[in-house]
Parts: sequence; structure tokens; C-alpha cells
Amino acid sequence: MNSGHVHLWLNHLPTIGFGIGLALYVTALLLKQADLRRVCFVIFFLAAAFTIATYVSGSDAREQLKETPGVSHPLMEAHESAALVAFVFMEITGFFSWIGLWIWNRPTRFAHWNVGLIFIFATLTFVLMAQAAYIGGAIRHPETEAAQAVSLNPSVPTLPRAWGLFVQDHSWVWPACETIHFVGLCLLFGTVLIFNLRMLGIGKTMVSFAALRQLLPLGMLGFTLNLLTGMMFFVATPEQYTGSFFFLKMMLVVAGALNLLYFMLSGSPESVEYGGDAGIWTKVIAASGILIWTAVLFCGHMLPWLGNSF
Amino acid sequence: MDFLVKIQESGFCQWVREADSLFAFPGILLLHTIGMGLVVGINATFDLRILGFAPALRLRAFEKFFPVMWVGFWINAITGSILLAVNATKLTHNPDFYIKLAFIALAVINVQVLKRQVFVPAETAPTTKVKILAVTSMIFWLGAITSGRLLAYVGRSSGVL
Repeated sequence: MNSGHVHLWLNHLPTIGFGIGLALYVTALLLKQADLRRVCFVIFFLAAAFTIATYVSGSDAREQLKETPGVSHPLMEAHESAALVAFVFMEITGFFSWIGLWIWNRPTRFAHWNVGLIFIFATLTFVLMAQAAYIGGAIRHPETEAAQAVSLNPSVPTLPRAWGLFVQDHSWVWPACETIHFVGLCLLFGTVLIFNLRMLGIGKTMVSFAALRQLLPLGMLGFTLNLLTGMMFFVATPEQYTGSFFFLKMMLVVAGALNLLYFMLSGSPESVEYGGDAGIWTKVIAASGILIWTAVLFCGHMLPWLGNSF
Repeated sequence: MDFLVKIQESGFCQWVREADSLFAFPGILLLHTIGMGLVVGINATFDLRILGFAPALRLRAFEKFFPVMWVGFWINAITGSILLAVNATKLTHNPDFYIKLAFIALAVINVQVLKRQVFVPAETAPTTKVKILAVTSMIFWLGAITSGRLLAYVGRSSGVL
């Protein structure tokens, strides 16, 4: 299986997987099923995490198809552009779904609004993803009617190319984003450390799980800063972020999302009170959380040496 | 000046600079980044807690996490010294480098002062003075990160900024 196949395989998660999630969400809203709604928040959150890996694997697929005859390059550009817009909406849906999970069982006015907000963003995401998938499917078949229906104007740069030109033309953008990427790294790392070290027993007499839960948005803020700045790098110069090493970093981010989900859903860490010890399984997951995010940092840092960057 | 050149051209420094090994320059810089994550991550969480974020988390709990922060600090003191040694003549001529050192010195003094105010037996709500110190702490670390990142850009022969 080459990296182009990886992109084709991963495509099913933001499209079919997310579509199933949306159908379930509508069902949950119509039948007023709270538990099913929670399942949908999990699906949307996971879809958003996997979409990061899906989006970036596209630049590998492009490299692979470059020399292949019968492939339409303008359609590839159009697909990239549509996918970028869909990606943004997918991440917003995932973000609010995560908030929905975080404030679960706390009936605030925002929680109520959030349900509607997620419905709107999820619907838009689904439409945009379907459009991106439609154009993507036409790349290898530019002779078909479907491909002809996509309007292309090669003289106008697509959204990602205009984005790239902006970054190239303004020399301050790159170092500014790098700096913010480091700030986000620190915020994420601080939360990951305090949260997981407590689960492993450090400072247990002083900290209960309920207190730790309040820290999570700070880690999410750090991650959001890094997703935004990371996208500045990636969209501007996608050719730098090809190959299995960068893809490994993105899959580790997905692993980090799964790791966080354990603590958001499992009831057992919730019972950890002042002075209490987490169960052995929880401790293993906590240790793996520190390892996963350190590995993400390792992969990001080593990109110029082990990846294709710079 | 000769002294700096001597250090910079020592066998160890040449190895760090030029060796085609991940344990040389890339590894040392990696440790420097991880150290930053430990120090600034825990310190910034502490500052934000003082300012009212995550109120259920007891302030004195940070006393237990500060040793982790100091581990990060010493990792960075050591790796930072190595990174200085391998590039001594250039860095000592770069004003940005002194700005970074000044920010770190201020941030470390800041956290020491803050520690004495906060880690007391009878925990009280943070005073205005403590809150101001939490804000300055974040400003100093932000300054250290920014000037540190910009070392890769300013003072280069091509000069991006």
C-alpha cells in the first residue's frame, strides 16, 4: 500500500463515517436521545481528528499522481481547495463536539445552544465534504461529465495557492506562526503533564480528578493554536510535508485524541478523589498520553532531518 | 574572543555542529524544546490558575509539579550552554540572544517571588500583587520564546528581518 492509497482509504472517514454520524445525530435530535447525541459528539470529534491525517495525506497522493497520464491537474487544485474549506468546517464541528463532551451533564444555556450549533456546522461540513469528494473522484476521470461540471479558471489562484503566496510574500508570517506554534506547544504540554502526572500519582493528595478536568480546555487551546499555525505551514508549502515521517506525526495526533477521549468518557478516573490512586489501566493510558505528545514533538522537531522539510 | 573561538572549535563542539547524527545538534535542540515545554508549560498553567482558570485545582498542588519544572530548567541550562558553545562567536554578537537571556532571568526571578507568595500554609485567594506577578510571568516567558525562536532569523547573514 503506497501513500496514495492511504489517502483514498482515509477519505472514507470524513465522508461516509461523518455522514453516518450526521444521520445518527439527526435521529438523536428527533427522538430526543441524549446518549445517542453523546455518541455523535464522539464520532464528530474522532472524524475531525482523522480528517487532519486525511487532509495532509493528500499532498502525498498528489506527488504520486504527478507523472501519471490521464490525470487532471486543475481538478487536483480544485479538489485541494474544496477539501481545505471542508476541513475548516470539519475542525469547527469537532471543536464544538469536544466542548459538548466536556460540558456533558452540566445543563447550561450554552450546552443547549451548542447542540444546534453542532447541527448547523455538521450539515455544512457534510455538504462541503461531499463536494470535495466529488471533485476528488473526478481527478482520475477528467473525461466524464462529472469532471466537466466542475468549473475551473486556471488564471485565478485557488484558495490554498493564494494562501501560499500570502505566506511567501510576507516574511514575518512564518516566524510569527513558528513562535505561536511554540506557545501552543507549551500550553498543550503543561496540561498533558499535570493531568497525566497526577494520574500516575504525583501530587495526588492535592488534586482530585474534578480539578484536572477543568484544565482540559487549556490543553485544547494549545492544540487549536498549533492546528491553526500548523495549517499555515502546510497549506503554504504542502510539498514540504510529504512522506511517512510527517504522516506519522499526524497519526500520533490522532492517537492523542483517542487518549484524551478515554479520560473524557471513562467513569473510572472520575472517581479519583484527593489522595486516591487511579487504576492500573488508567495509569497506563496516562503514561501513554505523555509518551504520545512527546513523540508528536519529536516528529515535528525532526522533520528537517528525518522528513522532507526545509 | 580567542577563548570563544577555542571553545567553538573544540572536538566536542565540532561534533555537535557537524556530525551526521541525530544525537548531535538535532538531539540537543530537541531536548531544549522539551525542556521549554516542561518549564513554560507548568509555569504558564500556574500563572493562569492564579488568574482564576481551573479554580478547583488547589494552588499549592503546584508545589508538587514544580520539581518537574526545574528538571526542565536544568535540561535547558545544560543544552542551552552547549548550543551557545557551538555557536559562541555568532551568538555573543547577536543582541537578540541577550534579550532572550534577560527574559529568562526575569521569568526565573518572577517565579521565585511568586512561589514565596503563594506556597504558604494558609492558602488565601490571590492578591492583586500576586495576579500582577502572574501576568508579568507570562509576558516574560512569551518574550523568551519569541526572542528564542527569532534567533534563527536575526543576525543571519541573509537576514530575514
